[in-house]
Amino acid sequence: MTQRPELWSLDDVRALDPETTRIWASRSVESRVRSELPFDRWQPDAPLPSMIKHLVAVGGGTLLDEAKRFVHDEAPDVALVAIPSVWGSGAEASPVVVLNRDGKQIRTGDEYLPAARAVWPELAESLSERRAIDACGDAWAHAMEGFLSPLATNELRRELAEVIRTMIDLPLTNDPRWFEPSARAAALQARSSVGLVHGIAHTIELPLARALGDDWGHARLCALYLAPVLRLDRAVGTKLHALFLEFDLDESKIKSAALRLFDDRLYQATLPVLEAEWRNVLRDRCTRTNSVLVRADHLAHFLTFLP
Amino acid sequence: MKNREKLQNLLLDVFLLNPQELRLDLRREDVDTWDSLGVVSLAVGVHETFGFHMTPEEATALRGVGDLIALLRTKGIHLDAEA
Repeated sequence: MTQRPELWSLDDVRALDPETTRIWASRSVESRVRSELPFDRWQPDAPLPSMIKHLVAVGGGTLLDEAKRFVHDEAPDVALVAIPSVWGSGAEASPVVVLNRDGKQIRTGDEYLPAARAVWPELAESLSERRAIDACGDAWAHAMEGFLSPLATNELRRELAEVIRTMIDLPLTNDPRWFEPSARAAALQARSSVGLVHGIAHTIELPLARALGDDWGHARLCALYLAPVLRLDRAVGTKLHALFLEFDLDESKIKSAALRLFDDRLYQATLPVLEAEWRNVLRDRCTRTNSVLVRADHLAHFLTFLP
Repeated sequence: MKNREKLQNLLLDVFLLNPQELRLDLRREDVDTWDSLGVVSLAVGVHETFGFHMTPEEATALRGVGDLIALLRTKGIHLDAEA
């Protein structure tokens, strides 16, 4: 049996029948996508014609998750082909769906997996340096929190440790080699849980975007909070250090990568919202499966964190 | 700090209770955050606080704080002892 999602080449995508295929692309890449793929455009406010067999979704994690929800809920006979415009979320390979609906809704299940995914590295060419770092932070957070999760098995940790070693060797910059470990980290993480980095990101993303603008998305928060959360995990117990030793991971290199993802000026700007939302962070389901127990008084750790 | 106080602090943090809601006879059904995620964070917190790993079977079998106190006692942890 073929495992979902199948990994397709762009030629596989181009070979789809234009009569029975539609494309949904995010605005940032739409003109390029439509110039290179011979399919008519579809927008989610319009019905999908009944003869459609494939929907090709091209964009970031938000668009891909919406496409996964749409196909699951409203077009179950349509095969979804997911093409990420940037690495980080791993939405193209993950059974997790995060929806922005009056706050975050999270659904999980293999039935949400796309039928196929493809990598199109050139779509990320115009990514700014900061957004590339943010995307790396998202991928790192999936790998680290999945690995450290109290729900992770040893087998899963072995697989995630391999991904982490790959990430350690990659530069934190715009490099298409991030697509594959990012997809793998997201798919593997779904078999355990994420932790406080995601709890913070899911909770403060919307209030922060309202306060500071759309640049303050999920990926940026993952990049900014990975180092402070890892330091908290390290301070509270011995588990983190023991796991790094057991799975032959170089703690100093992980710490160094986390600190390079960190930007103190950007981090400081998030703190008023973190402080206001801390009670909700504690209640978040991701926070509650963090590697160490997150306590009410741990807010002080974040307010006083220095790299 | 006595183990009783450590347990009380742990329960406040794991189940996000206000101090006035905390009683040592609380049952699982009395606490809306004592769900499957609460079981996970309780197991993590017990390990950090008292230094022993609850098995998944032990963690899911707890029907209330009284069962947790009894489980702690079987591990040699008594509430009125100094930690």
